[in-house]
Amino acid sequence: MSAVDLEAKIPNNVDLKNDKRLLRALEKWQPKFREWWKEMGPSDYNTDQIYLRTAVGVGKGGWAHFDYVKMPDYRWGIFLAEPVERTIHFGDNIGSPIWNEVPGEMRNRLRRLIVTQADTEPASVEQQRLLGDTAPSLMDMRSLFQVNVEEGRHLWAMVYLLHTYFGADGRDEAEELLERRSGNADKPRILEAFNKPIESWLDFFCFTTFTDRDGKYQLASLAESSFDPLARSTQFMLTEEAYHMQTGENGVGRVLHRTGELLAEGKDPKSVGAMPLDLVQRYVNAWFSVSMDLFGGEDSTNAAESFASGLKGRYREGDGIYKDPKALAQAYKLEVPEGNRLVEQEIPLRRAMNGLLLDAYIADCKRIVSRWNRDLERLGVKETIELPSKRFHRHQGVYADFDFNPAGELISKDDWAANVDSWLPTQADREYVASCMKPVREPGKYANWIGPHSVGVNEQPLDFEYVKFH
Amino acid sequence: MSDRLVYVCDGGDCSEKGSVELFEKLRNRLAEVDPGEEKARVRKYPCFGGCEHGINLTVWPDRVFYSKVKEDDLDEIVDHVEKNAPPLERLCGIVKKDVEDIIWEMLDSPY
Repeated sequence: MSAVDLEAKIPNNVDLKNDKRLLRALEKWQPKFREWWKEMGPSDYNTDQIYLRTAVGVGKGGWAHFDYVKMPDYRWGIFLAEPVERTIHFGDNIGSPIWNEVPGEMRNRLRRLIVTQADTEPASVEQQRLLGDTAPSLMDMRSLFQVNVEEGRHLWAMVYLLHTYFGADGRDEAEELLERRSGNADKPRILEAFNKPIESWLDFFCFTTFTDRDGKYQLASLAESSFDPLARSTQFMLTEEAYHMQTGENGVGRVLHRTGELLAEGKDPKSVGAMPLDLVQRYVNAWFSVSMDLFGGEDSTNAAESFASGLKGRYREGDGIYKDPKALAQAYKLEVPEGNRLVEQEIPLRRAMNGLLLDAYIADCKRIVSRWNRDLERLGVKETIELPSKRFHRHQGVYADFDFNPAGELISKDDWAANVDSWLPTQADREYVASCMKPVREPGKYANWIGPHSVGVNEQPLDFEYVKFH
Repeated sequence: MSDRLVYVCDGGDCSEKGSVELFEKLRNRLAEVDPGEEKARVRKYPCFGGCEHGINLTVWPDRVFYSKVKEDDLDEIVDHVEKNAPPLERLCGIVKKDVEDIIWEMLDSPY
């Protein structure tokens, strides 16, 4: 394990200073990254002082430092988690040594996995670039920027892998990561969910709850990888990603809490510019369903090959919670549409790796919704938020060409058309939410549509000046 | 190495209540009496969802869900894990059953 070098132009714990060729290549990429940040990062706030967390190490006893930083001066670094002694623990090569170089036959598949993951990092920053203008509090604004700079650091983590292990191809891919643009018709981001604009803070909180959570599960499965540099990169990314998901989970929770308070007082949330429950439900339906699509087809030979070769494991594979680490002996049961009904099919477990990862994700999302509903119940609100079925509003996988209601019942196209406005956000919903998005810049104050945080950042009070405007 | 896992919640609320420090202390205490992890392995878990009752900790596959865990409870938790003493009843059944069920659904993979 290399020591952490925080003084270097690119902070790192990968001994960059002793790999002159790699160092030169990354130092050549760095100004292009900064240019991308200026053009596509958060608008208008590059000269302001933001109270940010910066990764400064990976060991025990604290890995981050908090201080005021101007975002362009953020120290984007390359950090891999500490190495552990291990052998390959799943797939066809169990017990063999892990890889510190990319096996030739896996080069293309691994590069595609890394590029697809990497592309989501700058994409989300682009999607969120205008949100600072309407932040409901200074602390929320700070959270947005924290998420943004760390997604930028995750791009660095992936670009390091591309430059180090994939030669000229990897360098080309790293350039293209800065050339694609979210929502651009000519050069779109790779995954569709990352081409949708994040128009409001309700979208942002739903995105960080549901879409970033897909990222967690993808990263967690890569953290099991037999390619050790990838496993260690993603393990450390997960440390930072936890805050992003917490931002979303608590953010939607605070929106619901405010709505619950108003409902408990017998008030119509819309009468005071807050979010009605049915509207929040439609946003949950939309973001949860589009995020499920990111897992890919439930039945996938690609996923089977990635598992068999040791590139991508199951969620928490290393904990040993699965009975068969080769995943050869069992079948996965999947309900698939046939005519106007659902029939159960069995597919070999290896081909169901995307489906298994999706199941773990859905269980996690159930946990979140249950937490939101407990808060509503405490406030005396009888209505709840419901997680829609995994069949609802899908555009990938076995349910993509069929219509299902949120309960997961197969319905006709006419039924869909007649009800879609009560299931997914309407233009009127978006306009109403947009009308609520008024910035609040006074420390400790919050917009009327959202409850306050329960605690401050890094033990600071809620009325701390998390953003100092120049 | 044991298949048994002691998971300490690492979610936002539990972390605020000191779960990271509690994890280190529990791991160190268990390492003293079970250096080869023959009885259990201690790991962090992203969030169990019983946030209002943290610090939460589970023992799997025993299906024991401890809540409101404090450092003072660690000796008895070590006894439970290492000596197979009965679970600490005062720390069980605090979160709602549906919260527990979701966690077991996440951990009890049929595969």
